Amino acid sequence: MRYRIEHRTTYTYDDDVTDSLGIAYLVPRRLPWQQVGHYRVEVTPAPADTARDEDYYGNELTYFQVVEPHRELVVVGTGDVEVATPTVDRGLLDRPWDGLLPLARPDLPGAWRATDLALPSASVPSHPGATEYAAESLLPGRPVGEAVGELMHRIHADFEYDGTATTVTSTVPEILAKRAGVCQDFAHFTLSCLRSHGLAARYVSGYLATEPAPGKERVVGADASHAWAAVWLGDDDWLALDPTNDQWQNDRYVTVAWGRDYGDVPPVKGVIFTEARHSRLEVSVDVAPA
Amino acid sequence: MPVLQEYVAALTQPMLGGGATRYDEVVGPDGLLRPPWKRLAAVVAGIGAEELQRIDDQIVRFLSDDGVTYSRPGERPTAWRLDPVPLVVDAVSWREVEVGLAQRAELLNAVLVDLYGERTLLRDGVVPAAAVLSHPGFVRVMAYGSRDDPRPLVVSATDLGRDAEGTWRVLGDRAQAPSGLGYALENRKVLSRVLPELYREADLHRVSPYLWAFRSALLQSAHGELPDPRVVVLTPGTHSETAYDQAALATNLGFPLVQGSDLTVRDGWVLLKSLGRLERVDVILRRVDAAWCDPLELRGDSQLGVAGLAEAVRRNRVRVVNGLGAGVLENPALLAYAPAICEHLLGESLRLPTVPTWWCGDPDALAHVLDHLDELSVRALDSVPSPVLDTRPEVLTRRILAAPHLYVAQERLPLSQAPTWSDGRTAGLATPRPVSVRAFTVRYGSSYRTLLGGLGNVLDVAGSNRVVASKDVWVLKSGAGEPDQGLAEVLPVSSGRSLPATVPRVLEDMFWVGRYAERAEDLLRLVLAAHVVVEDYRSRPRTGGGLSLQIVMGLLARIAGRHPQAGDGDHDYDAEFRSLLLDVDRTGSVAQSVEALRDALSGVRDQWSADVWRIFGVVDRARATMAEDPGSHQAAESAGRMLTGVLSLAGVTANMIRDPGWHMISVGRYVERGQQLRHLLTALTERHGLDVDREVLAAVLAAAESSVTHRRRYRDHVRPAGVLDLLLKDPDNPRSLAFSLARAAEHLAAVPASTGSTRPERLLAALVTELEETDVARLVAIGGVDRPHLVTFLDSLGARLDRLAEAVADLHFATGPAPRRFGSLPILEEVP
Repeated sequence: MRYRIEHRTTYTYDDDVTDSLGIAYLVPRRLPWQQVGHYRVEVTPAPADTARDEDYYGNELTYFQVVEPHRELVVVGTGDVEVATPTVDRGLLDRPWDGLLPLARPDLPGAWRATDLALPSASVPSHPGATEYAAESLLPGRPVGEAVGELMHRIHADFEYDGTATTVTSTVPEILAKRAGVCQDFAHFTLSCLRSHGLAARYVSGYLATEPAPGKERVVGADASHAWAAVWLGDDDWLALDPTNDQWQNDRYVTVAWGRDYGDVPPVKGVIFTEARHSRLEVSVDVAPA
Repeated sequence: MPVLQEYVAALTQPMLGGGATRYDEVVGPDGLLRPPWKRLAAVVAGIGAEELQRIDDQIVRFLSDDGVTYSRPGERPTAWRLDPVPLVVDAVSWREVEVGLAQRAELLNAVLVDLYGERTLLRDGVVPAAAVLSHPGFVRVMAYGSRDDPRPLVVSATDLGRDAEGTWRVLGDRAQAPSGLGYALENRKVLSRVLPELYREADLHRVSPYLWAFRSALLQSAHGELPDPRVVVLTPGTHSETAYDQAALATNLGFPLVQGSDLTVRDGWVLLKSLGRLERVDVILRRVDAAWCDPLELRGDSQLGVAGLAEAVRRNRVRVVNGLGAGVLENPALLAYAPAICEHLLGESLRLPTVPTWWCGDPDALAHVLDHLDELSVRALDSVPSPVLDTRPEVLTRRILAAPHLYVAQERLPLSQAPTWSDGRTAGLATPRPVSVRAFTVRYGSSYRTLLGGLGNVLDVAGSNRVVASKDVWVLKSGAGEPDQGLAEVLPVSSGRSLPATVPRVLEDMFWVGRYAERAEDLLRLVLAAHVVVEDYRSRPRTGGGLSLQIVMGLLARIAGRHPQAGDGDHDYDAEFRSLLLDVDRTGSVAQSVEALRDALSGVRDQWSADVWRIFGVVDRARATMAEDPGSHQAAESAGRMLTGVLSLAGVTANMIRDPGWHMISVGRYVERGQQLRHLLTALTERHGLDVDREVLAAVLAAAESSVTHRRRYRDHVRPAGVLDLLLKDPDNPRSLAFSLARAAEHLAAVPASTGSTRPERLLAALVTELEETDVARLVAIGGVDRPHLVTFLDSLGARLDRLAEAVADLHFATGPAPRRFGSLPILEEVP
């Protein structure tokens, strides 16, 4: 599938911001199943300084600094992407999950690289509740595809999608207590489940193209950024799963960046210097078939 | 008997319980002095217990005069302790350390290059990836593929100890912001003063040439070819544990001490904010832990860092020493793999052995650790610095098994012992105490060079590795001709540029130095005046005297609040004086003002000559004497001595360069003097009869240091009008309001941002005019029992002085708002 993406983030302040430094993860990764056409990140007012770099996980990031006093900051990422459904070798899914633990099997090819994603991280701490929840699916010797698939089904069934249930900073214990959250929370909880049993798993940030309800027009800008997870299958192979929608990643998923958790790859983050007391945040995402 | 001889004798006695497992630094197994001490035997033989105690007392005084402190996290700073007996190491024995540490620094540099580059150590399984990645010292924003820095390590420190055989072993490495060099320099300065003969006789390596090497290492570490790179020392502030060490190092190196808020990033360059202009910074010697260095990419809640610093570093536009990723080297798990790492990266075998260490993530190591738990120290990897866990073995076993990769176990070495006076002085004995040494290494040209000396630590006997005192480390020369630090060419360390006194934070600190010094001084004078009234009343109790006493004590309460324990009835005046002088937690007390003064001075420590710390030496000793002696006369005696101490600040400022900071001290001082005068004069607003009023006026004059002038001018006619004229309007009386305002205006005008029409200047000018137009006859006019015009005047004066101080702060100290994260402001609405 081909998509034309526009991701617009607008901050409005009630007083001048004299200095604003930011980092944006908005440019999709180039991957075997994902071709990225010309892609731009534009910041308004025009930054005095901007730079592109590739981070520790190979994601493209945009650094910017705006020093002109402003009350509105707009960051727009826009461009074309062509996505296919990632293919995973059937044989890999049939291997027992408990043979794929990087810490227990540092000798496995690629285990040293996957180790980083098997360890707890700031938003994905090891949590006894998650360990216990996952144990039901991660039975000894079970094929990894089957075990992880069942875990995904259960999370989808047991947790409610609720945009009002959490903020960006929900913790795993909070998610578990409420049994509800947004896509980010579903992803963090899934990661906590997998990592607490020793599997390596990464947080994936991106977009999911939505289909308009039958008979309705597609509403421009009504999409949102999305998040899901991927589990390590050995070497450089990963299996991406979306617990929010109970499905494996397909050609409707645009992968932007991945890391240990949301904190590694937020679409936009930054620091401002201002006397302003309030701000307003507006995010609009449009993923249009092209 | 000489102390050392007694020490030898005690050691060679048959040991009770056969505990002689430690290597002794002074006495060999044959009971004879080791070679370095043999050389010194003649001098040392003359030092008896009394003499050593005198030396120890001198050390305490010197350290206090220099304001040397250390604070444990969350506690008030305490005095730094230096043991009078140095740790002496001969050239031969130190040689192995020197060579070993030069190799170690190269190794640590290579580890940084590898872990932030290709990561072959992890890829090839030399070090398990989990052992490195579980440690917070690995900073991922410094590990981008675009990074290229072949020489990331500039300075390092290594803790060393000798095992039972006398072999030096590495206990741990400090690389992200090694502390201790400042303390080591101070230790040397003090010890060479109190042990001049021994110091001369020992023929040891002086430390100062090393400073020159350290300084040039920092200058040379700048990226690109810069003729005159600007180097700053980044400190987390005066509340840091090792604030003294940071300031001492900065001062000795001649580089300014800055805080994160003094710096800003523009176009990827780091700039120093100075009024009206921004100056580029090329090298930052950081004493802030990496996590706190950049709120944009590291901890977002940090106010200690500089937003954009990580990006500036990645672009090689500023050199941070050591780099933001250097904390990875402090990971104790690396010690377990040190020999293999050395083979892998340098192709050499490791010279300095490390303390035996096991990383529990390895199944074999885990089994060993669990079997030997009672003999090992266990440390958790996921906090920095990794603390030794002091938990019951069952609990520890459970914790380790839950996440083995997060734990490291180390053998508890029986570290070598040395005679220590600080612990045994009450018995008049030098007692054997375990010691360790922090050694310092710096890049020098194309290689690394270790300080011939170091910071010795005396550890407590319980084996918890708690440091109880420090020792100076003396490395002896191998021959008479050997140059100090092995550096043939020695250039003096130039004094360099200190932080320009136009940095807003510096001006603010200076302003408060002036205010607190004046506040402490004025309150001390009032305490002394009140004490006279108290003593007088005690010897001649009269009704009138009781009332004057109440009024004067009321003045103290007005300034410093009521004594927390004061009852309504029989006042315990001595307790009140003690509280005013000693109670640090009492708002407005002398003790609190002195502490606040110390804080303000510490914030700009590099601006001061070392003499300034004598203030606190004097005050602290007066305080200690008073704490010991509850007698009434002691209050006046101690207050008098404290006053002497506080007044000595004037002697220091008299010799300061006349820069904006100097002027700002005076602005603070005179604004505060006006405020204090205002409080003092409230005593005149009520009338209590001639005798009482006369006594009160006399106390007010004494507290305002104007008794003599008054007597000269008015003989013994003490009248309110005369007192007010002298204290408010007399332009020649340095304690008067008119004089204070005139001086404040002069000094304010000399600060760069002043134009003659700024708000503070306007407020001050209006105040001067109002004072000129005020008629003293009107102020003393009576309405009922009190003087309503004086009340109004003083109230208005107080409010106007407050407004003036605020205006000064707004104009001269504003550095702009603190950094905040996107989204940290309350979000009114989130759309959609």
